[in-house]
Amino acid sequence: MADRRGQRQRHMITRNNSSSSSSFKSHRPSNPNTNAKITRTNKFATVNPDNNDNIDDPQDIPNLVGTCPFMCPVEERARRERLRDLAVFERLHGNPAKTSSTLAVKKFCRTISTNNVQASDVRPVTVLEDTLNYLLNLLKSDCHFEVVHDFIFDRTRSIRQDLTMQNVTSDQAIHMYERMVKFHIISHHRLPNCGSPNQIELHILFIRMKQNSIHIMCFSISVPDNQGESLSQWFRRVPFVIMKSKEMCFARRILRYFRLGNYKQFIYTTEAEASYLQYCIIEPYISEVRALALYCVNYGGYKLQPYPLTHLSNLLMMQESDLESLCIDCGLQTSTDGIGKVLLSTKLTDTCNPKRGYHKYYELVSERLERLSAELSEL
Amino acid sequence: MAAYMSMGEAHRRITEYLNRFSDTVSSQDGKSLSRLLSISSSSSSSLQFLADALNTFQDANRIIRQSEKCSQYADILVPVFRALQSYRLRNLVDSYMAFEKAANAFIQEFRNWESAWALEALCVIAYEIRILAERADKELASIGKTPEKLKGAGSFLMKVFGVLAGKGPKRVGALYVTCQLFKIYFKLGTVHLCRSVIRSIETARIFEFEEFPVRDKVTYMYYTGRLEVYNENFPAADHKLSYALTYCSPLKEANIRMILKYLIPVKLSIGILPRNLLLDKYNLTEYNNVVLALKRGDLRLLRHALEEHEDRFLRSGVYLVLEKLELQVYQRLIKKIYIIQKQKDPNKAHQIKLEVIVKALKWFEMDMDVDEVECIVSILIYKNLMKGYFAHKSKVVVLSKQDPFPKLNGKPVTS
Repeated sequence: MADRRGQRQRHMITRNNSSSSSSFKSHRPSNPNTNAKITRTNKFATVNPDNNDNIDDPQDIPNLVGTCPFMCPVEERARRERLRDLAVFERLHGNPAKTSSTLAVKKFCRTISTNNVQASDVRPVTVLEDTLNYLLNLLKSDCHFEVVHDFIFDRTRSIRQDLTMQNVTSDQAIHMYERMVKFHIISHHRLPNCGSPNQIELHILFIRMKQNSIHIMCFSISVPDNQGESLSQWFRRVPFVIMKSKEMCFARRILRYFRLGNYKQFIYTTEAEASYLQYCIIEPYISEVRALALYCVNYGGYKLQPYPLTHLSNLLMMQESDLESLCIDCGLQTSTDGIGKVLLSTKLTDTCNPKRGYHKYYELVSERLERLSAELSEL
Repeated sequence: MAAYMSMGEAHRRITEYLNRFSDTVSSQDGKSLSRLLSISSSSSSSLQFLADALNTFQDANRIIRQSEKCSQYADILVPVFRALQSYRLRNLVDSYMAFEKAANAFIQEFRNWESAWALEALCVIAYEIRILAERADKELASIGKTPEKLKGAGSFLMKVFGVLAGKGPKRVGALYVTCQLFKIYFKLGTVHLCRSVIRSIETARIFEFEEFPVRDKVTYMYYTGRLEVYNENFPAADHKLSYALTYCSPLKEANIRMILKYLIPVKLSIGILPRNLLLDKYNLTEYNNVVLALKRGDLRLLRHALEEHEDRFLRSGVYLVLEKLELQVYQRLIKKIYIIQKQKDPNKAHQIKLEVIVKALKWFEMDMDVDEVECIVSILIYKNLMKGYFAHKSKVVVLSKQDPFPKLNGKPVTS
């Protein structure tokens, strides 16, 4: 039986821009139904192409072109006013039963079929872009991030739904996807305790354009669910030129270090070479790799020469005090040897590395990444 | 180009085919019926002549309707003729669509025939559906349209599977249809769709795996074995691919090669190396350097071998499996150092300075510092590829006096 236990996969975003981009053509995706489905366990992202949300396969239906000029279709706006189904950000003067065309944003609808949809309910690409700008601007508001996040999360999902229904694959759309993906990564980074109600969708879009090679790819290394595709299968379909791209080569190297358990290089290379976005995606796995390092040292270290935490904290790029806490988290013992703190080697064998996300994350000590985080360009 | 044919000749050929068709049905001659439906088979010159005849005569439907024996099969024959004609004229999309119609009509009749006499013909139809769909998709792609016929063929074959999934003698054909589905899903990259049909074969009580024809069992194990490789379930992959290898006819060298292509990385992952003779015999030379790297403990050679055949390994889906062999290469390297040290001074052989490993790696042009070597050593110990411990302060690894480099013994490296 095809059994996917034990297969681990990861999430990374790479973007490959070819230098010459002349005309922008709209193309149908060549194989939208072979989008890799990727899942991460509980608190991490679940990736589901929008086809999962009961939208008919856009291939079988001629291209719908939306005509709704507002961020929210008029009918929906009236209906939600009546039902008092308005988010905080949509209320006019705080009135739960009143909104306006500049405040209301179309909601994501789970069960929708392109057969029944009216063009007047679907927003064309220009309106979608304006909507996205509006939503991402809300991030700059004074509101608490968690509150605004949920709203933006849902409404951007609706934007993607409208894009899929119209089968838009232009560069403009790709750029919008990129911005939405960026939002998801960073918001997930800022809300590390997102539980299952706040499942984040990272949308996969694999578009090849005949002339340019502008791609967005998320390739995932995660514990796949039943619908997951193994990484080897996914690799089969990625064009060779992308596999050799700088971003992909970096991702593949990190993946290799992870799979082999080379904790030193995994952390070192991430710190030295990852872009901020790549770092955000790799971050959840750093804890796991660090824990592995501790278990290895504990298991294989000479018990009469306990490992100094100072050296280990440099290797794992964390504050020594954080390392001490991590040792405790992992159920490992530390001690002092006169010079400093050390990790004891007790040859613990009962340490099946618990589910990803179990360990608390301790910041990576990195001037470079701190600088990148501060420089993060506008969403 | 269609050869010139007179109207009379064309009429004769058409009636001849129709007579043969009704004869095979009434005498329940499955083999002959199959031959009448092998549209894509270019060796069938009689079908080619028939196609030419159809293109010449242009009103074969009238002949069908007028024929006493064949008019009842009009739903099958009319589209078959259309499919033949289109195929001959290289209208592959048209040909596929017509053939699918014919196939649908055929299934209706097939359902009514109680015995399994027409099973071979049904299998031919399943094969043709796939082949014609592939060619139709090529045609669509070449004119800039979305290829979607193969996907449709998959749906159609699921229907055929359903027809065969019953208690009667027809069920032995189910594995053949399954294999056609596998081929389609693998080609489309929608491999996750294999799961439901695998589940049907393996858990449904009506199916007894041993009852299926050997040829189908081999193909089935080959594809399911490949799926296990993708998911890195090496013991399961080993079992299935080895089964396929054992029961594959030794004359089918191309098939053996395909099985070995996947079995070799699996065997390597559980510590079993193929002989060079095998690699040469089946032209699997892309693995030569991988095997050599494992024997030598030469990491540079492994990485080079992977790079040299990167595209091929990526496309077959074994790249990641081969990459993971690095740990065994490290193990081998350290073992060689141990053996050399043992020759110099058997008493001290089990203590290896990390610096020595760093130097050895440098000879292989691998630049690793002591920290990384210590990391690798600790991983090898943790995963039971080495027995012993490492002393951080002394920067040395002390190997166990007994069995310091345990063999994998058919088990993959511990995750």
